Amino acid sequence: MNPRLRIAIIGCGAVAERGHLPAIAKLDGIQVNVLVDKNRSRAEELAWLHNVPHVVEDYTQVWDNADAAIVALPHYLHAPVSIDLLKRGIHVLVEKPMALNVTDCDAMIEAAQQSGATLAVGIMRRFLPSYQFVKALIDTGFLGKIGSFDMREGLVYNWPVASDFFFRKETAGGGVLIDTGAYTMDAVQYWFGDCKSLDYLDDNMGGVEANCEIHLQMENEVEGYVDLSRTRDLRNTATIRGERGTLEVSLRSSSVSLHPEGLDDAIAGNVLEAEAIQSKGESLVDLVKVELEDWVEAITEKRQPRVTGEEGRKSVALIEACYKNRRPLELPWLSPKLPEYVI
Amino acid sequence: MIELRDSRILVTGGTGFIGGRLIEHLVLKYGADVHALIRNFARAPRIARFSIKMFPGDVTDPEAVDRAVENCDIVFHCAYGSAGGATQQKRATVKGIENVLKASLKHKVKRVVHVSTISVYGKTEDGCLDESAPRRYSKQVYADSKLEAEKFAFSYYDKFGLPVSIIQPTIVFGPFGRPWTLNPINQLKKGRVILVEGGDGLCNAVYVDDVVQAMILAATRDEAVGQAFLISAVEPVTWREFYGAYERMLGIESTIPMSLSELGHSKQRHTREPGTIAQVRTAMREHPYILDAILELPAVARTYGIAQAVTPAWLQRRIKVALLADSPGTGRHPLTQTEKPVLPLTPSEVDFFRAHTRVRIDKARRLLGYEPAFDLEKGMKLTEMWVRYSGLA
Repeated sequence: MNPRLRIAIIGCGAVAERGHLPAIAKLDGIQVNVLVDKNRSRAEELAWLHNVPHVVEDYTQVWDNADAAIVALPHYLHAPVSIDLLKRGIHVLVEKPMALNVTDCDAMIEAAQQSGATLAVGIMRRFLPSYQFVKALIDTGFLGKIGSFDMREGLVYNWPVASDFFFRKETAGGGVLIDTGAYTMDAVQYWFGDCKSLDYLDDNMGGVEANCEIHLQMENEVEGYVDLSRTRDLRNTATIRGERGTLEVSLRSSSVSLHPEGLDDAIAGNVLEAEAIQSKGESLVDLVKVELEDWVEAITEKRQPRVTGEEGRKSVALIEACYKNRRPLELPWLSPKLPEYVI
Repeated sequence: MIELRDSRILVTGGTGFIGGRLIEHLVLKYGADVHALIRNFARAPRIARFSIKMFPGDVTDPEAVDRAVENCDIVFHCAYGSAGGATQQKRATVKGIENVLKASLKHKVKRVVHVSTISVYGKTEDGCLDESAPRRYSKQVYADSKLEAEKFAFSYYDKFGLPVSIIQPTIVFGPFGRPWTLNPINQLKKGRVILVEGGDGLCNAVYVDDVVQAMILAATRDEAVGQAFLISAVEPVTWREFYGAYERMLGIESTIPMSLSELGHSKQRHTREPGTIAQVRTAMREHPYILDAILELPAVARTYGIAQAVTPAWLQRRIKVALLADSPGTGRHPLTQTEKPVLPLTPSEVDFFRAHTRVRIDKARRLLGYEPAFDLEKGMKLTEMWVRYSGLA
C-alpha cells in the first residue's frame, strides 16, 4: 500500500474549514500534514480541531512537508502560488476561479506539464451527478435541438468572509461574475460548447459588481442568458429549452425537472448515479469529498483529473471576455431621472 | 459650508439601508472619498460596487473606530444595534456613538451627522409633531437606545463644541429597506395585515433619497450644527395608502380593516386569562427585551440552552410564537387551511397605527433648505422597480 499522501492546505478561510478539512477526514489514503495561513492563530485553531501536525505562515515552508496542496487563497494568489508549487512537483488542487486571466492559467498549465505534477481546478459542481446527466441529455439529442437556455443564480450574500479580499478588484479580480460565475460560466461551456459572441452588463461603479447579466450566442447557435447576483435571491436553476422539451436543473444540487414538449405534465426528481440507491448527498463536504477523491486518484493513477487546468481555463477565458466587453447595467432607482430631483 | 467633493467621509452602518444609499449618493453625485467601517463583510456587496475604502471593525471597538475616523472630515453615523439581544443592541447603539464622538473630537472632525429616529419622541399624540416636543422613553430597546445616543451627541456639542447634527427620519422606505419595504412585502405575502381603524391613521412615510438629501445638508450647512431635524415627506399619507401601494405592487389584497372595538375584542379575551401568566405574556409582548433579559440570567441561560439543544427548531419557533404572539384577529376570523393567518399586533402597535400624528419638517426646510423630492407615489414607483428586479413581486 502506498504511504498516505501528505496534503498542505494553503489558505484557511471558510472553504478550508467547512469543506476541505471535514471532507479529508472522511477519506482514506490522504492526510492533512500542514496548514498554511498568515493568520497563524486561525490556522493553529483549525490544526488543533483536525489533528494537523504542522502549521506555517508562508507556503514556501511546505516543500518538505507536502506531496500535494490545496490552494484556497484570495483569487489573485491562485496563479503565483500554484506555479511555485507545481514547479517543485507538488500536485495542486486550486480553488475556482483558476486564476484572474488566461495568461496566468497558461503559465499554471505549463508549470504542471513541465514537472509532471497533477493540476486540478476546484469546480466542484462538475461532480454533481446532474451536471453529467444534463450534458448527456443534450449531447445525445434527447431534448432535440437546443434553442436557448437561461441561468439565474443569486443569493443575498451570506458567505462568511473574514476579510475584504472578496470585495476588492485587485485581490478578487472582480465580483459575482468571477466568484459564483466561475461555476456558472463553466456549466455554460460544459453543456453548450464554445461561445461565439456575448453582451455583458454589470453594476460595478469603481469596485466589484454585485449583479451582472450576460447574453450569449454559442457556436452551435444556441442563445443563452445568465443573471448573477449577490443582492437578490434568484431561482438558482438553468432552464434549457429543446425541441422535445424543457429541462430545468438546479445549479447547486442534483434536482431536475423535465417538461416534454406537447404534454401538460412534467416530472421532477433527483439525478442519481446508476449504482446508487440513494443520493450520495449534496452538502459542501460531500461534494468536496468526491472532488478530492478524483484528484487523489488522478495523482496515484497518473491520469487526468475531471477538471483539468485546460477545463478550468475555459471559464476564466469567458469571464475575461465579459469584463473586456463590459457595459453598465441600468438600475433606474440608483440615479432616478426625475425633474424635481435636485440635491 | 463644507464641500463634500474635497472631504474625506466616514460612514458607519454603510452596509445597511440608509448608510448604503448614502454611500451611493456620496460617490455617484459628489465623487466623494468615502471610507466605511464594516462589521460584517457578508453584507458588503452593495457598497463594494464602489471604489471606497473599507475598514474592518465594529463600532463598539474604540480602536477600530479611531482608526476609521482618523483623517476624516465628516462622519455619518448610521450604525446602531440591530443584532443580538437587548443588551447587545443597546451596547452597539450607545457605546457605538460614544466611540464615534470621542474619536471625532480627538481627530477634529468638521461634522458628525448622527442618524436618530422619530421614535425618540416615544408614543406620539394626534396633531402636529415638531422638534420642540419632549423626548420620551418608550421601553422599546431601539427607541430608548437611540434616545441615549442623542443625549451623548448633544453633550459632545454642549461640552466640547463638537459640530454635531442629528436627523430624525420617520417611516423610511425604498430599495433595500427592511423595516418599511421588505417587512411589509413579506407580511402581505405570508399573512393578512390588520389596518387599524381601516388604516385611517397617518403614516409619515419618507423615501430614502429624501433622508439622504437631509443627511447631506446636515453635513454641509453651518446652520445644522447642534440641531436635530425631523425628516419626512411634505405630507403624511394614511396607512391604508401605504400598505395599498405594496398590495398593488404585489397584485394581492392582503390587508384586513379592523375597528378598535374589533381589536378590543381580543384584548378582552386576554384580560380574562387568569393570573400571572397572562401578565407575563403581556409584558413580554410589549417589551421583548424582558425576555432577552430573562434569558441572559445565568441559570436560565443554562436551562434554556439545554432546552434549546433538545428541542427541534420547528418546536422552538412555535414556542416563541406562542410566547410573544397576540392574535387579535384570529378569534373573529378563524384560520382555515386556505386562508392566510391574520398577523398579530401588540397593543402598542395598535396605538402606533391609529395615531394621527403629522410630522412637521419646517425646521429642516428653514435651516437646511431641505425640500422633499418624493411623495409616496414617486418613491413607490422607484421602489417597485427595485422590488421587481429583486424578484420580490
